[in-house]
Formats: sequence, C-alpha cells, structure tokens
Amino acid sequence: MVGNKAVAYGAKLARVQVISAYPITPQTTIVQYLAEFIANGEMKAHFIEVESELSAMVAVQGASFAGARVFTATSGPGLFFMHHPMMEGADLPVVMGVVHRSNKSMQPDHTDLMAQRDNGWIQLYCENNQEALDTALMSYKIAEDPRLSTPTVFGIDGYILSYTAEPVEVPDQEMVDEWLPPLKAPWAPDIHLPVQEWKKRQGRMYGSQKAWLEHDTKFRSSLGVIREVNAGFEKTFGRSYGNGLIEEHNCEGADAVITAMGTIASTARVVVDDLRSEGKNVGLIKLKCYRPFPVDEIRGLAKKYHAIGVIDRNISLGGGGNVLNETRSAIYDIAERPKVLGFHTGMSGDEVTPQMIRRIAEKTLKSVSEPVPTAVEWVGGA
Amino acid sequence: MSKPTPFQRVEGEEIMALGNSSCQGCGHATLARITFKVLGKNTVYTSVPGCIWIALQGSIPLYWRGTVFEGGGALISGIANGLEAVGKEMIVVGFYGDGGTADIGLQAMSAAAERNENVLWICADNEAYMNTGGQRSGLTPIYASTTTTPVASESRGKKSNKKNVPFIMAAHNIPYVATASIAYPNDLIGKLQYAKELKGFKYIHVQSPCPTGWGFDPARTIKVARLMVESGIWPLYEVTGGNNFKLTYKPRELKPVKEALILQGRFRHLDDSEYEYIQGQAVERWRQLLNVDGKKLPL
Repeated sequence: MVGNKAVAYGAKLARVQVISAYPITPQTTIVQYLAEFIANGEMKAHFIEVESELSAMVAVQGASFAGARVFTATSGPGLFFMHHPMMEGADLPVVMGVVHRSNKSMQPDHTDLMAQRDNGWIQLYCENNQEALDTALMSYKIAEDPRLSTPTVFGIDGYILSYTAEPVEVPDQEMVDEWLPPLKAPWAPDIHLPVQEWKKRQGRMYGSQKAWLEHDTKFRSSLGVIREVNAGFEKTFGRSYGNGLIEEHNCEGADAVITAMGTIASTARVVVDDLRSEGKNVGLIKLKCYRPFPVDEIRGLAKKYHAIGVIDRNISLGGGGNVLNETRSAIYDIAERPKVLGFHTGMSGDEVTPQMIRRIAEKTLKSVSEPVPTAVEWVGGA
Repeated sequence: MSKPTPFQRVEGEEIMALGNSSCQGCGHATLARITFKVLGKNTVYTSVPGCIWIALQGSIPLYWRGTVFEGGGALISGIANGLEAVGKEMIVVGFYGDGGTADIGLQAMSAAAERNENVLWICADNEAYMNTGGQRSGLTPIYASTTTTPVASESRGKKSNKKNVPFIMAAHNIPYVATASIAYPNDLIGKLQYAKELKGFKYIHVQSPCPTGWGFDPARTIKVARLMVESGIWPLYEVTGGNNFKLTYKPRELKPVKEALILQGRFRHLDDSEYEYIQGQAVERWRQLLNVDGKKLPL
C-alpha cells in the first residue's frame, strides 16, 4: 500500500465525519482515495469541496467546532496558505496529514511543516507507511484527549512514501472503534445547554500575556499524552514507536548517537547496524515528535551519550537546522553536556544515501575523542 | 420574501441584550436586533474581523465562532456540515461586513455559494473598513472620501464604483439573494423570514449607514438609510428561485441623490459634475431594474 493510501485508511478507520481538502501534489491522492471511499459507500462522511487550502482548514475547524471528527491533508505551499487559520484555531482537535514538499522543489524536506512550528499544533513525523496509518489513528486519540483538545498534524515524506508501496497491516475496524470512541465535543453548540454554560466550555485561549503562558503550559502537557497514547496503541495493536516521542535504535552502550526524522531514519537504521557490527559505538535516535519539542528526552540523551549528530532535513533560513538549534538549547545548562554537531541533508528531496549517513555518524563518533570542525555541514546534494 | 410580521409581533424573545459596543447611531445594532429575533435561539452565528464582530460580541448570547478575515464562507460551510454530520439541526448564519464579504472574503463566499451550503449570509455593509478607521473597501461608493481615498488637491475620493455583490451572488444561481436596508425593517423581516425557511445558500445584503465613517449626525442614521433607498442609490429587491427578480420597494418617484448625499460628510466635496454622475447612475440603474422587475434574469 502506498503512503497516501495508508493515510486515507487511517482517516477511514477513525470514522472521520467531515473531510475538506484542496488538490496539491504530492498530497492529492489522499483525498482522492477518501472521495472514492465516500463515493462507493465504504465511508460515511461529508466532503466539503473547497476552493483553497485556507478554506479547507477553516472548514474543518468549523466542523470540529460543530462537534464532528475531521480530517484534512496538504503539502508544502498549501500548508503555508493554511498558516493563518492554523494559528487562530489551535483550540480544536483537527487532524491533518502533511505530505512533505519542499518549497524549492516538488520533492520533500521538512521545512514546510517546521515553518508551522509556532502554531500550537502537535507535530509527528513518520518513517514508513505503517507508521503513517498508525500515526493517523494515534493523532485522533491525542488531539481529542479531553485534557488537550489540541490540533495534531503528522507528516510523511512526499514521493518517498506517498507514492511508494510497502506492506501495511490495516487494523481491524472493530478494534479501532473500541480504542477510538466517537468524539465528545463539549464545546459544540447544544440547544439543551444554556449559552452561558456553553460559553464556559470554550477552549479558545485569547487575551493578555497570561493566555500565552496558559496555552504553552497546556500544549507542553501533550508530551505526556502522546507517550500514553503510544503505549496504549502498543497494548491494543501490538505496535509502538519508541516512547511516542523518540525511539532509541541500537543505542545500548553507544558513545555517540545521530538523530533523524522521517524516512532518513530508515536508512540510518541500516547504517547504524552496520557500524555497530564493525565495532563502532554509534546509535540512532529517531525523532518522531517535533512539537512540542521533547526536551526531557533530549536531556536524557545528553546524559547518556558523549556526542549527538543532528540531521536536519529542514532549515530556518538565516537560523539553521531547527532540530539542531532546539537540541543545543535543550541541553545547554547541563554541565557535562555532549558535543552536538549539525548536518543538513536531503533538502529539496535530494537523495540521502547510506554512505552519506555513514559519514555523518563517523564524524559524530570521532568528535567524542578528537576535535572535529564544528561548523554545520551540508552533506550530499546536487 | 414572506409577508412580514411587524417586529413587535415576531414570535420568540428578543435575543440581543441591552447595550452594545457599537458607535452611537450605528446601523449594525438595529440590523442585529431584527435579524436575531427573527432567526430565534436555535442559531449558530459566526464572525470575521470587522465592526460587526466587535459590536455584537457582548450582546448576542448565542452559540458563536469567529475565524480569520478571509474565512467566513469556509467557516459557515464547516459548521453546517459538522452539525449535519452529528445530527443537529440549527440555523447557521454568517454576519460579516463589506470587507469580509466583497474583498478578502469573496473567494470563500463564492465557493460556499457554488456548493449551495445550507447557510445564511448577512452582509452588514457600512461601505468601508470602519473598524480600522474607515479605509475604502470594494463596497465604498465612487467619490466617497475615506482615510485611504482622502480628498485633497490631487484626489476626489474613491476612484471606482461600488462592486455589485448581490448580482455576483445571483449569478451563483442560489435559492435566495436580497438587498435590504435598516430603514425598512418590515422589508428586512419579510426577507429574513423567507430565508429562514429555505434550504441552501441565502444571501442578504443590508446597507447599514455608519455615522462615524460617513460623517453624519448619529441621530440621522435611519434618515440617511431611507434617503439612500428613496434616491435609487440602494434599491431594495430580491432574486428567488435562482433568477426571479423582484423590486420589493418602489418609490413612486426617485428623490434626487443630492438629498441623500448632502447629509454625508464623505461626499461634502462633490461638485456638480460628480453629483450628476451619481444621479445618472441611480436613474439608469433604476430604469434597468424596473425593466426586469417581475421577470427572470438571464443568469
């Protein structure tokens, strides 16, 4: 099953009630699959055929406000167009799938989603098509958690996953139904509830500086919910993704680790396994959750390993790799902190080979015992 | 339109609370009071930025959601579909200004109308971005002085004509399009009552004079609104069933536009030729509307 179909199956299994989306490559086939499910009666949902991504986002926010479970999907430029309503509607449990697309090519990098990092949306990144389907389901459980009611977006790498077939196990609908009951939406209009009572249920955090603090505090608390949901998913479906936020792969006894997101993590698994068999003590950290940033987990790594090589398939122009910056910031006040090296690779979807990751891992490992150039390195690229 | 029930006899209680945060003499308060009493309590209303959001927020105790300026059409579509999906029957109304309708909001509104979403769109038209201090919009009439089309040695106010949004909406072939004025409450009530019972996209465009932005005595809001209608500048009509056009108020004779415009500071600078231009427009428009009155529009 191709990645876009896995995402569509995720939305279908979640029994989404309202869908709205606008065509954009490489996302388009997700909503085509969903439109087909609806057209042939496999799925019962309203499909709002909007005229833009911005309207797709506002429409699903409206439907979520009305109490429906909703889904939308987009890619790069469409995501940029959604920025305005994403920023405004951070109190509703909207779930979105993003098929990463660079803004310098049609191929993927993570700059599109990372440019939305300040919106108050939970951001999860997927490594393969199974994880895409599973993360779609987990996203609903996370977003709709009554403690949060927070929008959640998950990303898959365009082309590499969106149009590439992999074996995917589709969970049983009955199991999903039991695990993910229908949405309870206390904020939805309800004629049986006095308006004054209803107003108290609105989660919109608007106002002075205190509103920012409250929002940030609530948003950060989602890290705990994500861990819980990941553990619960494992119990029901027998699959999980690290602790839901990060996964340590072949890290036991490692001196250094590299971190990767999305499909690069798959390539990095092979490279790290090879290096370990050669006796080189380097492990892999797969970063699944970027927002909120899993600060505790990153600090935990800093206490265990002597060097961290951060792979950023993204850039904040003039600022650098987002994960590099946040990793360094998270561990800065740890006295015995490890070296943190930065690498850009796979930008604009350029190929990331095992040889390139090997270079990154070896340089990171080398930095444990001897000085290496600390400037951020661009690896590969045409 | 339906045969209007006089305001006092409209069933149900008044929804609008006493006191609101609009300017003295603002037409929006009158419009909101009438609209919500007719629609009743089983209503979800929505806002996009503008006077109408600010003016009503504290005084309409109903289910409410606001969104981004450009998102009005998508928000009401989402809410209507969402309510249907969860099995709730409620009236969904968008209460938006001229910017949220004719400028930044036009794209999403047009799309919602094209899909014939089951919603009511009220355009509360005060003919400029009054909430930000009176900048011109696509619905500002020609020659009007606004803060972005000031009158000075090199400028005679707004250079272009008001966009004809009711006809743009009629071209969407939706179940109901109407114009209305706060000076004609019965006409407005009849149109709201008719729209309330219809499924599909309903569009009512209400002229709501703004003492602050148009520059007139707040005690004269209704008078100004009435003269705009009686002079033919703002004709009252409706389009039902997709293309049946009908004038709903026909003054026996149009008053000179000068009688309406002279009360408004934004037109204080007009010279004879400019008056003549607006007069000519009003007369010609009225002639054309009389021609199609009671007939089908070629839409």
